Amino acid sequence: MDSLLGLVQIFVGGLTVGSAYSLIALAMVIIYKTSEVLNFAQGDMAMAATFFAFSLLATLGLPFYAALPAALLFAVLIGLGAEFLFLRRAKEPNLLGLIIITLGLEMIIFGLASWKWGADPKDLPFPVSPWDTIQIGGLIVSYLELLTVATAVVVAAGLFLFFRYSKLGVAMKATQLNRNVARLMGIRTRRILLSAWGLSAGIGALAGLLIAPGGTVDPYMMWDPMMKGFASAVLGGMTSLPGAALGGCILGVVENLFGFYVSTEFKSVVPFAIIVIVLCLKPSGLLARHYVRKV
Amino acid sequence: MDMKRSYFEDVRLFGSAAQVVWFLVLLAALFLFPFLAGPYYVYVVSYAAINVLVALGLNLLVGYTGQISLGHAGFFGIGAYATVLLMNKAALPLLLALLLASLIAAFFGFLLGLPALRLEGPYLAIATLGFGLTIEIIFEKWEFFGGSTGPPVPDFPIHFASGLSTDQNIYFLVIPLTLAGTIAARNLVRSRVGRAFVAVRDSDIAASCMGVSLMYYKTLAFAVSAFFTGLAGGLFAFHLGQIDPTTFNLMLSIIFLAMVVVGGTASILGSVMGAVLLSVLNLKLKGLQLADFAAIPVIGRSVADFLGAFFMETGMANIRFIVYGLIMVLIMIIEPLGLYGFWIRTKIYWKTWPF
Amino acid sequence: MAARKRLLSLALAGVLVLLAGLAQAEVPLGVTDTEIHIAQWGPQTGPAAPWGGVARGTGVFFQMINDEGGINGRKIVYHMFDDQYNPANTKAGVKELQEKEPGIFAWASGVGTSPGLAVRDYLMENGVPWVGPASASLHWITPPQKYLFAVYPLYFDEAQVLVRYLVEKKGMKKLAVLYASDDYGKNGLDGVHKEMDRLKMKAVIEVAVGRADRDLKSHIMKLKESGAEAVLMWVNPTHAVIALKTAAAMKYEPQWVSSSTLSDAPLMMQMSGGLWKNIIYTNFIELPDSQTPLIKKYKAAFDKYAQKGERFGVFFLAGFGFVEPMVEGFKRTPKDAFTRDNFVKAMESIKDYKGIMGKISFGPDKRQGQREVFVAQTDETGTKVKQLSEWMAPD
Repeated sequence: MDSLLGLVQIFVGGLTVGSAYSLIALAMVIIYKTSEVLNFAQGDMAMAATFFAFSLLATLGLPFYAALPAALLFAVLIGLGAEFLFLRRAKEPNLLGLIIITLGLEMIIFGLASWKWGADPKDLPFPVSPWDTIQIGGLIVSYLELLTVATAVVVAAGLFLFFRYSKLGVAMKATQLNRNVARLMGIRTRRILLSAWGLSAGIGALAGLLIAPGGTVDPYMMWDPMMKGFASAVLGGMTSLPGAALGGCILGVVENLFGFYVSTEFKSVVPFAIIVIVLCLKPSGLLARHYVRKV
Repeated sequence: MDMKRSYFEDVRLFGSAAQVVWFLVLLAALFLFPFLAGPYYVYVVSYAAINVLVALGLNLLVGYTGQISLGHAGFFGIGAYATVLLMNKAALPLLLALLLASLIAAFFGFLLGLPALRLEGPYLAIATLGFGLTIEIIFEKWEFFGGSTGPPVPDFPIHFASGLSTDQNIYFLVIPLTLAGTIAARNLVRSRVGRAFVAVRDSDIAASCMGVSLMYYKTLAFAVSAFFTGLAGGLFAFHLGQIDPTTFNLMLSIIFLAMVVVGGTASILGSVMGAVLLSVLNLKLKGLQLADFAAIPVIGRSVADFLGAFFMETGMANIRFIVYGLIMVLIMIIEPLGLYGFWIRTKIYWKTWPF
Repeated sequence: MAARKRLLSLALAGVLVLLAGLAQAEVPLGVTDTEIHIAQWGPQTGPAAPWGGVARGTGVFFQMINDEGGINGRKIVYHMFDDQYNPANTKAGVKELQEKEPGIFAWASGVGTSPGLAVRDYLMENGVPWVGPASASLHWITPPQKYLFAVYPLYFDEAQVLVRYLVEKKGMKKLAVLYASDDYGKNGLDGVHKEMDRLKMKAVIEVAVGRADRDLKSHIMKLKESGAEAVLMWVNPTHAVIALKTAAAMKYEPQWVSSSTLSDAPLMMQMSGGLWKNIIYTNFIELPDSQTPLIKKYKAAFDKYAQKGERFGVFFLAGFGFVEPMVEGFKRTPKDAFTRDNFVKAMESIKDYKGIMGKISFGPDKRQGQREVFVAQTDETGTKVKQLSEWMAPD
């Protein structure tokens, strides 16, 4: 096989996988942008929503156009619930405490989902088949991959415009910069936080639904993508949405190039190596500006 | 309530003769325990003690110095692997291997502490997370470490007396080390170093203005914390009798962190309580069945039926995750000071009774 | 002050725990005049949970045996616990059950190489028999242990049989291997190498898969570029499904070949969304839908006793198969001298025993019971499985 074509094929493959990572990274960045919390429960919220969709699609036999909004709504509810019931109530919201709460949430959601749906991996019936493909030149791309990329682009662009130009978006940025002053300016920070979590959970669910058809639906399905989404967010900048999107794509491509040309066995080291390098050289990431904390 | 009138009073180990007596009672109880209790309970107590060591180390870093570490399973693993490999390949005696392994872990702690100087908050958390995961991968891939089933662990070589079982021998090594570690941690906290740690936690910029060298104390905190954890890791290797890379995963780091936070950050007693509670919970929740739910009076039957209908019966053991998560979340919501906070509140309540 | 309180509480805790324990010197036997206590650990939750069916299958098997009158008048009392595939939990659970009265006479099966390794030395030191570990690791029989009887045919042996079949019966020349970078995958790879050396061949390419990898695009690309006719898979079910799906998306369709860990065809078919067609794989146990009398009997027991939502699949049946030799050993142990050593002698007398697995034989120094497997293939619909070969052993 022509090796230039092989290179392009792998590049495109990396880009499509990276789009899924971008979605997760975007979800994490939204939360980080508004409340400076690292949301470790991101992956499992998406996993629970995917399982919910599976139940609707496979067990109840609902058509996809009904199941998709239902699953997204489910995810949004989980996100809202997490913020309202748990994070808000934290008496001492220092970083460690919030991390512990998200970790605890992650365990609870994981335990409940794993208990309810069992550990046998399942297959998600998805309207866009992961193995129907189109050929562009010698390049083979599946419809699912195209859909993933398209979704990521749309979501990233939408979020970018949202945060820059809409009132809610600007309010979210203000809440992150200084919550008390934002309150003084009349912004309802509680509502902002709620919406941020809901939005983030919804985007995470989208990512889960796009990852699932190409693999299996099982309780551990989002652990690896979540770590990669994390790494992408770090790479691109935890406070930058375009950075998150870009980071995801870069990570996907680098990882797959490494896997193909160097070694598949060590492929999983790439995200962590990237994290280490980024944190050593430019901790705030590629596209984010580093706000210096004043004492 | 506990006012000290002099520096000496603050740092002394035993406040009064009564304390000394109680301490001796404790020592006697710990000594007699393995002869009176079954081997399984000895095993459990050793397991809890190892976790106490880890919790102490982690608390020094997280509670007292205000850093974050999501990768402590890495130090745990380094301690375990180093001890076993030093014994296997360099034929070192156990105690020397333990010491060297802990120092190696401390060295890695120092290395991890260096970037900590530049990183704050969430970035430090991510860096430590990356460290922990990288260590896990290295253990698995590098053949030197025995691959995915891990190196063979030699038999526990120390026999304190003839006729003692392996469990008891391990117990008699673990418990004194844990006691020593607890006392060491407590003394460290009360000393100049401990005060420097707390200063770094409360306001590192102000501390450095006052002459507390951030570089020295932050890396020292990491190193000391890693030392404790590495030591615990070495002991764990013998306690379990087998080590493999999958044990030292992210979940383990999270559980360590949970022990510290649930017990109470910045509190020695808290670390002990948190470690003991979570260790015991871990072992007890394993065999939970639906029938146990039905045994709850009054609502038991309906709870069991509901659970059986809604959830898959075969996944009952998942309740362990739910309980862990709930404990972590509820502690942060209800009592951020952890179990130690409950303890203090109870004490105050009783002391100030009847008001 | 805090020091005093700390010490007080530690002392209190110490005293309480003291009072709670019992004194025991040796591990209890686990046998009474009317009962035999057997236990098993299993991953009911955690990453290996799909294999949890093995432990549950054994439970149903014992219920069936008890229905038939038990073993020479004794009923089997079965204990099962979840170790989450975590060796620390396995060891704790084993110790707990073993040391609490009445103890455990012998341990049945048990999923996982690492969990098993954690308890192997403990069980052997205490002279507690263990039959049929549910993993085909070389660690059980090198060196052979007096009280450990392995049943599951070695991945090493399986791989040789598979390669031999592909080359000699199917005439394939370009074989590739996709293997998990752990003990299981590497054992399989070693077996492939051994057979290929004998046949004077080399694999076209060998691709390793990391444990937590979910994206296998680069792996499949490498396989595709190598032009392999068949790909031997030594991976876990999730990776196999992802591999097949990714390959389908890349329009790469080799002959997929797999080891017995993926032999639960209905499960694989459902997991892969219908891609599990025409897969050649090895089996160590009769197919669940075969009509042999034993399978029918076990199916009846399943219908009667299995939990709601349980599936009559290969792993569940394996819970029967791994334990069949153990029950045979019980039957041969003298009723009035039901000791562990007599049980070991009884096990050693088992020659060419055939239950629902292959032929099982033990001997005074022989602890690997089954070495034969047979090759099967799923059909176009993925639902029917065709047996392609007889039971074969590598040598």
